[in-house]
Order: sequence, then structure tokens, then C-alpha cells
Amino acid sequence: MHFITGGAFNGKRAWVKGNYGISGTWLSAYQGHHLITDSNQIESNLLILEGIELWLKDLTKSQDSYNCREIWNSFMNDWLFWEKAEFNRRLVVIGTDTTKGIVPMEKENRLWRDVTGWAYQDLAAKADRVDIIWYGLNQTIKKTGDGKL
Amino acid sequence: MAAASLIFITGGVRSGKSSFAEKIAVEYAKENGGQLNYLATGVASDPEMRERIVKHQNDRESGKSRWRTIEQSQTIGESAAYFNKEDIILIDCVTTLLNNELFSYNQEWDDCFLAHVMETIITGINKIRDRAKVLIVVSNEVFYESIAENNLVFFYSRILGKIHQQLVKDANQAFLVEAGIPINMKGVR
Repeated sequence: MHFITGGAFNGKRAWVKGNYGISGTWLSAYQGHHLITDSNQIESNLLILEGIELWLKDLTKSQDSYNCREIWNSFMNDWLFWEKAEFNRRLVVIGTDTTKGIVPMEKENRLWRDVTGWAYQDLAAKADRVDIIWYGLNQTIKKTGDGKL
Repeated sequence: MAAASLIFITGGVRSGKSSFAEKIAVEYAKENGGQLNYLATGVASDPEMRERIVKHQNDRESGKSRWRTIEQSQTIGESAAYFNKEDIILIDCVTTLLNNELFSYNQEWDDCFLAHVMETIITGINKIRDRAKVLIVVSNEVFYESIAENNLVFFYSRILGKIHQQLVKDANQAFLVEAGIPINMKGVR
């Protein structure tokens, strides 16, 4: 799994398209797509999950922070299982970094921000590669032996 | 004639990005000669802003190097005529320039207007670069908190992000300044 983060409007999507090509299945929270959990619906070998911070926000509307993290991690574990089942499969997860502003006034936004930060830590720990995108340039902050791209 | 060097620098508020930009301009002048120019984009809209401008002016004037100040708060491309290939130019900063372009007219922020604003800034910067020796452009990082969709901040961040992406692409060197420490993101220093 390749986790890609960075600030908003820094060219994350363009970087992923430039490096992985335009084929593959894109699930984008920005386009209003839901995070599907049934891997039988995915026919390509490349799955890109974009805008995960919005799916995390949805979770915070009905769950406390502990459950959000648990539920999110179980989704991700399922997709990691899917990725590992075939050699050519690749899971790419894109999340905007929303964690460096001032503390939000509203309780629900503080919860969302906390959950996002934890989810990104968990993703980075599981990923074989992590990149930060800064105005179109990537900085690889983690790469293990099995990192494909 | 080959285009001059473009150096892009960003950082957070009070990160030391302006000091770093001035430092590399002065260093460049010392090594290669050339006139230092400061393209002032700020409009003193309130006393605090005026104070900041005066502080920056004093900082530049108290140094050993001689800076020439040129004021151009909008359509910066028009200032290109003042420069020649011996000039080292500092623009600080892009967000001020963007504010001046966005808020000077009572214009609705539709896609057409925003595209026009971006075009004005990017072509303006390229025009100046084409005439000068070195152009150093400073901007501000503002992209690290959650943004509600379809409000003013969203459109503002989106256009600034596009401008930064274009500038990093065009730049020979790019730096991110964190707590006074410049991180070389592109090109060799």
C-alpha cells in the first residue's frame, strides 16, 4: 500500500496519475463516491482511494474516536488483504493533511481532526511506501523492501 | 536570451522565509554582481500593515547592500520595463499580490475571473523573469487545515495552490522554510 499525503491543492491527484497512469479504479470522496468494502466489485489491479479525510469525517458523525479508528482500520485491513492476494495488485490511498491548523472551535471538527491524524499514523505504519506531495514534488518519507513504485 | 533563474520560497507565518529570501539575494549580488531590487506589493491598509512594511524597509536599508524599491501592487507584469539583465529581484509575497488582484474589484469569483487572476500573476512573474538576472518569489503556506467546500477560503486556497504548483514547476530552485531553516525541495543550492 502506498500512502500519499500533503496539504490541500498541492497536486496529489496529478502526481498519482503521473506515476500510476490513469487506468485502475478511482474511488474519490470528492466525487461523492462511497468507500466500498466489497472487493468483488473491483476488477482492476489498481485501486486508488482519494479524499479519505471525508470518509473519516462521515465516520465521526456516528462513532466515537476509538470506534472510528477501529472501523477505519478494519476497512484498510480488508483492502490490504485484497492487495496481497495477487502479486500485481496495488492499493494507493490519498489523504489531505488537515492537521496543522489552529485547534478548531467546534467539538465535532476537533474529533474529525484527531481521527484523521490517528488514521494517517496507522496508514503510514502499514504502508510499504509513504510520500508527501508539495506542489507537485514528492518526498518519500518511507519505503520498505517490497515497495513496488 | 535564456530565461533568468527563478527561485521560489514558501513557509508559514514568521518562519523566516523573507529573511532567507533577502539573504540569498544579497549573497547572489556579492558573488555575481547586479542590482538588488525589491518589488513591493503591499498596500498599507491599516497601521499594523504599515508597521510591517516599515520594519521590512528598515531591515533592507540597515544592511550593507543597496536595495532599489519598486512599488507595484497589481498587474506586476507592467513593472518588467523597469528591469534589465543585471537585476536581482525579490517579490514578497504572492499572497499579497493575489489579495490585491482578487479584492480590488467587486467581481464575482467565477471560474473565468479566477483563471484570469492566475494568468495575470503567472505571466507577470514570467515577464519579469525574462528581463532579469534572478527573480526570487516568496509565498505563504496555507494548506494544512480542513477547508469547507465551496466557500471563499476553498476558492482562495485552490487558486493559490495552482499558482504555487506552477511556480515550483517553472522554478530552478524551490525552498520550504521551517522555523528559520530552509529545506531545499528542488534544484541544487
